[in-house]
Amino acid sequence: MRRFNSQALILVGAILFVLYLAGVPLVMLLYGSIRSAPIGEPGAAYTIQNYVKAYFEKEFYFLLLNSIYFGIGTCTLTFLIGTFLAWVSERTNTPFKKLFVVMSLIPFIIPGILSTIAWILLLSPKIGLINIVVKGLLGLESAPFNIYSMWGMIWAEAIHLYPLVFLLMSAAFRNMDTSLEEAALTAGSSTFATFWRITLPLMRPAMFSVLLINFIRGIEAFEVPALIGVPAKISVFTTKIFLAIHQFPSDFGLAGAYAVTLLVISTTGVLIYGRITRREERYATVTGKGYRPRVIDLGVWKYATLAVSFAIFFLAVILPVFVLLWSSFIPYYGVPSRELMDKMTWANYHYILNYPLALTAFKNSFYLSVGSATLVMLLTSIIAWVTVKTKLPGRALLDNMTFVPIAMPGIVLGVSLIWVYLTLPIPIYGTIWVLLLAYITKFMPYGIRAASASMIQINKELEEASLTAGGTWFQTFRKVILPLLMPGFTAGWIYISIIALRELSTSILLYSYNSTVLSIMAFDLWEGGQYTYVCALGVLMVLLLIAMAFAARKLGARLGIAN
Amino acid sequence: MADKRDMVQIEALEKYFGEDKERVHVLKGVSLNIPEGSLYTFLGPSGCGKTTTLRCVAGLERPDGGRISIGGHTVFAFGERVYVPTNKRPIGMVFQSYAIWPHMTVAENVAYPLTIQRRSKAEIRQRVGNVLKVVGLDGLEDRPAPKLSGGQQQRVAFARALINEPKVMLLDEPLSNLDARLRVQMRSEIKALQRRTSITTIFVTHDQAEALAISDQIAVMHGGKLIEIGSPHQLYNRPKRRFTATFLGLTNLIDGKVLEVDGDSRPGKMQTKKGILSFIPAPGLKKDQAAVISIRPENIPVHKEKPQSLDNVVEGTVKEAIFMGDAYHCKIAVGDDLLAVHTHPFNAISPGDKVYLHLDPKSCNGLPAEDTEGVDESILGD
Ligand SMILES: Nc1ncnc2c1ncn2[C@@H]1O[C@H](COP(=O)(O)OP(=O)(O)OP(=O)(O)O)[C@@H](O)[C@H]1O
Ligand SMILES: [Mg+2]
Repeated sequence: MRRFNSQALILVGAILFVLYLAGVPLVMLLYGSIRSAPIGEPGAAYTIQNYVKAYFEKEFYFLLLNSIYFGIGTCTLTFLIGTFLAWVSERTNTPFKKLFVVMSLIPFIIPGILSTIAWILLLSPKIGLINIVVKGLLGLESAPFNIYSMWGMIWAEAIHLYPLVFLLMSAAFRNMDTSLEEAALTAGSSTFATFWRITLPLMRPAMFSVLLINFIRGIEAFEVPALIGVPAKISVFTTKIFLAIHQFPSDFGLAGAYAVTLLVISTTGVLIYGRITRREERYATVTGKGYRPRVIDLGVWKYATLAVSFAIFFLAVILPVFVLLWSSFIPYYGVPSRELMDKMTWANYHYILNYPLALTAFKNSFYLSVGSATLVMLLTSIIAWVTVKTKLPGRALLDNMTFVPIAMPGIVLGVSLIWVYLTLPIPIYGTIWVLLLAYITKFMPYGIRAASASMIQINKELEEASLTAGGTWFQTFRKVILPLLMPGFTAGWIYISIIALRELSTSILLYSYNSTVLSIMAFDLWEGGQYTYVCALGVLMVLLLIAMAFAARKLGARLGIAN
Repeated sequence: MADKRDMVQIEALEKYFGEDKERVHVLKGVSLNIPEGSLYTFLGPSGCGKTTTLRCVAGLERPDGGRISIGGHTVFAFGERVYVPTNKRPIGMVFQSYAIWPHMTVAENVAYPLTIQRRSKAEIRQRVGNVLKVVGLDGLEDRPAPKLSGGQQQRVAFARALINEPKVMLLDEPLSNLDARLRVQMRSEIKALQRRTSITTIFVTHDQAEALAISDQIAVMHGGKLIEIGSPHQLYNRPKRRFTATFLGLTNLIDGKVLEVDGDSRPGKMQTKKGILSFIPAPGLKKDQAAVISIRPENIPVHKEKPQSLDNVVEGTVKEAIFMGDAYHCKIAVGDDLLAVHTHPFNAISPGDKVYLHLDPKSCNGLPAEDTEGVDESILGD
């Protein structure tokens, strides 16, 4: 009986907390978007003026078009790159394909803002390295590439986002029962007909969901539109919301109306995505033990696929990393040359480390990243335990609510939280605490995914064996469940701490001087034109990320095995 | 050796998997001929290379040596670099997972081989109707394929393999995903279907009961090599190899040394720990060779009194007698060994009884004891 009560207590507590994190911002966003004046100001009333103002402006439709254009471009290009690499690594005999996974994961470590900056440094018409080199080589009058264009934006976004496509499509290729294709061959169809009539239709749901998820990510993206789109005068929803708040005086109502619009688009996308993936699971056919991977012998073409793959990795990994490293060691930005090489210096690093705000930013980012990753994983482990291991009523609701923030673009979450903490009498606006709450909200969905996946793997009998051996529930949790959860917990923790450390789009609406974080500092330095300093900061950020991931792995392994 | 009436001929097939250090030799010179119109089974323990051989016939795997021909046409020859791709071979295949395309209806699945050949709509409709009737699925044409039961999916897979009237049907453990009852039913249906259509059929299984029930001929495989080929009757009653005797059904092995042997038609004599026993020798068995006698539990009559007029009688004590309904399954200690014996259910027998076992020479198969040719040693351990 006592056991039941404590379970119910945990459930109610978790529901209330998740409701507070995920539900309150949504309600406040909707509320804010129908208020005539900023909160707290006297005379505010209900109005639809914000929506009228937003929708009856011609600019709105440019915004919509740009956002859609950018979203479609991004998802198409990421899809092409990621699917090609996935196909090469899963289905062909291309040499060195084992390296692909590692190479594809590196862009995960590079924060979006840094990769955007790297591509500006490479493709800007004035200072872009590639432009200068190509111009010199071919004797061109003007720069061949211009990053400050829609195509430039799409490129910078896609080359950063493709690893997700690679992972998802690799899984899709891997999970497909290859005897479905072999059956077509034995039925007399050629390789091409088989691809066209069997492989493609079978992969269609997976491909569509991958396209959709990248479309949403494109629409939600902030770094590329802010750093490239704004100077290029190409506005999308996210930058428009940002500017509505950053102008003086801020127009919270208008930002709210735009944010609601963006939220509707992304929620629709997420809902469709959910439906497709559910259907996809039903589509899955029995794969008997007859399953074997079907690897296509490409003959000499395997060198072509190898070359193309490494060209992609060169562009996605080596070039950006090189340009960041190079720029972090030179006094002013320029093409690598003898002369500049002689001037290489640690000065940028000195500057960053002595920058008054830097220490605060490093500390804040570190605390936020470690704190949010730990709290999210603890919270979602409890939730996962409730939803997977108990039969309490209400657990499905809890599971769904934990997922809600996945549909909230970062900038929308930022706007919502402004409304929440300007209205509610909780005095944390402008402190690091509001950022912590924002991060927990935002990363809850990733946490719950990792936690329930590993919770499901823990057989009930493993727990029961410990109980019958005389262990208490708490001992069982500590000695059996926790160690078994550890690998999944660590993986989730690493992922969340990485994305927390590079978070920009939510933080940028919620930070104050004392709660500055690294990504914001990079953004400000960049806006101030201090390119070489940004690069030094970026290199330090990446090193910090690697060190954290490494430490977490070590610690996780120790806890998981030693106990 | 090659006969005109052989539909499939496989010669010295070699196959490796993996690269460099992980390279494993999976098929080690497999040669066999499959007579036209027969139901031919590849039987062997898991991992022995049955599926691989079948896939080589289908062209889904490219062998590393040897030659394969189907209906007199060479479809693969290593030396001459002949390789006919799968879709150009006159075959139909049923996969272990059935491989029913989930994005098509029953009719679309079955019609696929004809659609590929761009046959007319009318012809397709008619032939699909016919073949669905043959497999007992008429009326389900427009059902989406994933909404079928396991047994129905399997029938669809058969229909799809049959519709093009292939010269050879390839079946890779088609029954292993069905429950026990359905398996027995489909087993007889497959056999009946094969009789009716007389399409040469290769059937892969690791289930010896299934193989005995269904096949015209069985090729027993082990460790990538062919062990023995024969009819179910031959292989069960007159195995020539120790592996065949132990893999097909239950048997007792009695170690010994050959004392006398004269060809393989006349009984020989063997010195064993249970005395001198007569047996039917396997071909090639020589005097003084280490050998075993294999005798099936159901071929050992049990007597309460010592029968005077018979050879090959040994004395034993019943250790265990389990009533199974259709027989008693007994363990009877003879010397240090336990023999498995199945007796008639009316013949009440209980532990502790002293009995006499008649090891009828006609049921005693003398096989070479050293039978490692093509056999993985680890399996011989027990
Ligand atoms: N694609 C592959 N790569 C590497 N090894 C393989 C591959 N396919 C099969 N093998 C190996 O080849 C051997 C023979 O495999 P095969 O599938 O032919 O066995 P089988 O007799 O059909 O067994 P089962 O009854 O389990 O289906 C096995 O040891 C298997 O592990
Ligand atoms: Mg097999």
